[in-house]
Amino acid sequence: MILDFAPERAAMATLMMLSCCAALAGNATDSEAPGAAPRWTLGGFGTLAAVHSNNDQADFTAHALSPGAAGYSRAWSAQVDSRVGAQLDVRFNSQWSAVLQLLSERGLRGTYRPVVEWANLQYQATPDLSLRVGRITLPLFLAGDYRKVGYALPWVRPPVEVYGAIPLSSSDGVDASYRWQAGATNNVTQVFYGRTDIPATPGARARSHGLTGLSNTTTSGALTVRASLLRAQLSVDVARQLFDGLRGFGAQGESLAQRYELENKRSFVAAAGFSYDPGQWFVMGEAGRMNTDSHLGDKTVGYLSAGYRHRDLTPYLVYSSSHANVATSVAGLELSGLPAPQAAAGAALNAGLNQLLAAIPRQHTISAGVRWDLRPGYAFKLQYDRITPHQGSSGTFINVQPGFRSGQPVAVLSAALDFVF
Amino acid sequence: MSKLFFRWSLALLLLCSGAAHAAEFVVIVSARNPLNAMSADQVAAIFLAQNGRFPGGAEAQALDLPVGSPLRDDFYRSVAARTPALMKAYWTKMVFTGRGHPPRELVSSVAVRRMVADNPGMIAYIDKSALDASVKAIQVTP
Repeated sequence: MILDFAPERAAMATLMMLSCCAALAGNATDSEAPGAAPRWTLGGFGTLAAVHSNNDQADFTAHALSPGAAGYSRAWSAQVDSRVGAQLDVRFNSQWSAVLQLLSERGLRGTYRPVVEWANLQYQATPDLSLRVGRITLPLFLAGDYRKVGYALPWVRPPVEVYGAIPLSSSDGVDASYRWQAGATNNVTQVFYGRTDIPATPGARARSHGLTGLSNTTTSGALTVRASLLRAQLSVDVARQLFDGLRGFGAQGESLAQRYELENKRSFVAAAGFSYDPGQWFVMGEAGRMNTDSHLGDKTVGYLSAGYRHRDLTPYLVYSSSHANVATSVAGLELSGLPAPQAAAGAALNAGLNQLLAAIPRQHTISAGVRWDLRPGYAFKLQYDRITPHQGSSGTFINVQPGFRSGQPVAVLSAALDFVF
Repeated sequence: MSKLFFRWSLALLLLCSGAAHAAEFVVIVSARNPLNAMSADQVAAIFLAQNGRFPGGAEAQALDLPVGSPLRDDFYRSVAARTPALMKAYWTKMVFTGRGHPPRELVSSVAVRRMVADNPGMIAYIDKSALDASVKAIQVTP
């Protein structure tokens, strides 16, 4: 049951897959003369970064699943974007290969314990069709599958409104990629099916099953266009006490709990993006919509970015935003006519529910930065973000304190050194 | 005066010939490959692992010169409009998403030419001065 492997067992599973493959490769009569023995490649990437936020009433984070925190927890944080990854590629013959990528970044429990980011066995059925089984990172958005490899990105991090929007990053299952040509365009169509079971908060897990997705990337000269779709049954077991409390209020509480609880909810993500990069400059943009039919809401997100390359320097600008397509504050339980102690408990639950809904980001960000390719394999970046959560929303911020004021711009300054080896 | 003019002319001549000799690349396939011309985008797509076939459908495999060789930098600047730093960023995202690996590298234009001569499915770029009848230079159209 490869579909069922847990992160802890994934490395072992991969090692077993590798040895199976080695056996297969040994028996195969491979016509490819060079590379009869398996070829091993070890590579790695990483980012060392420091981030400062001027708002001490909430923490800035790049992604809710790796909550490095700058602002409230500490004014400067090295944990928001710093990470290191190592990847082992094994090519057994012209058809069979395997990938194992381990990544160490700040996890939900505050440690840097390495996690398995990629672990899959690939079969190249034809020069244009490849099949993989194991763990893949979701190919959502233009940079979804390499968003943690800072060196491959023009910015310090992908726009938080877009790339931080779903509590999923990988799929354990199967995928197929087909490379095809139409006119002057080169295309890769990828379909995947799998499941996920990852920690979502220190006490809860994010689980999905029936994770089904389609992604198509078209390249024509300097233009790249990617469209992706994903649907899944999603469960994230957070705010259990809140929903149990609501259920104590009869039918109206039950209906609120069902509406907002993220328990086996049909979720979807649709996204489309483009990048035009003739070399001297680039412009790229993406738009997406995601609906989890729960307290995580229904959001429309997007960004537009452009940069200009002058020798080793690439100054860039980004505008990004997140729009909520659902109410982010509700009346909640009807409390009139209830005895005072029950009404007080109900009011507390209503406040809790509204705090949860305020985390559906209504936010826009203007960013300016520069990338300096100081030597081969190293890039240094400086970035300034002016982030404005609005209309009562706490935006993409975490650890939000009572003194946090929506509508007030937050200034975030980041310095990062990206490297690959 | 005429001596000075002569010296300047000589210096200029040396400079020009130096520039002309600063390796010029040609894109080559095996002499047995029926192709004569490809567009720069078609060549780039094979070297960037976006297309595994020649126009016409035959399987194509690209070969590279070593990282840092001026001919290689010049080749990717011309056909893919990418500096060495952009090429590094491109392969970084391909490699760390398991989508592909850079072409196999050989040490010199001569080694590349020998390999291409023996393999009709290969495509490469070499120093124009290393060209001989065992391979065929193809015309790269814009």
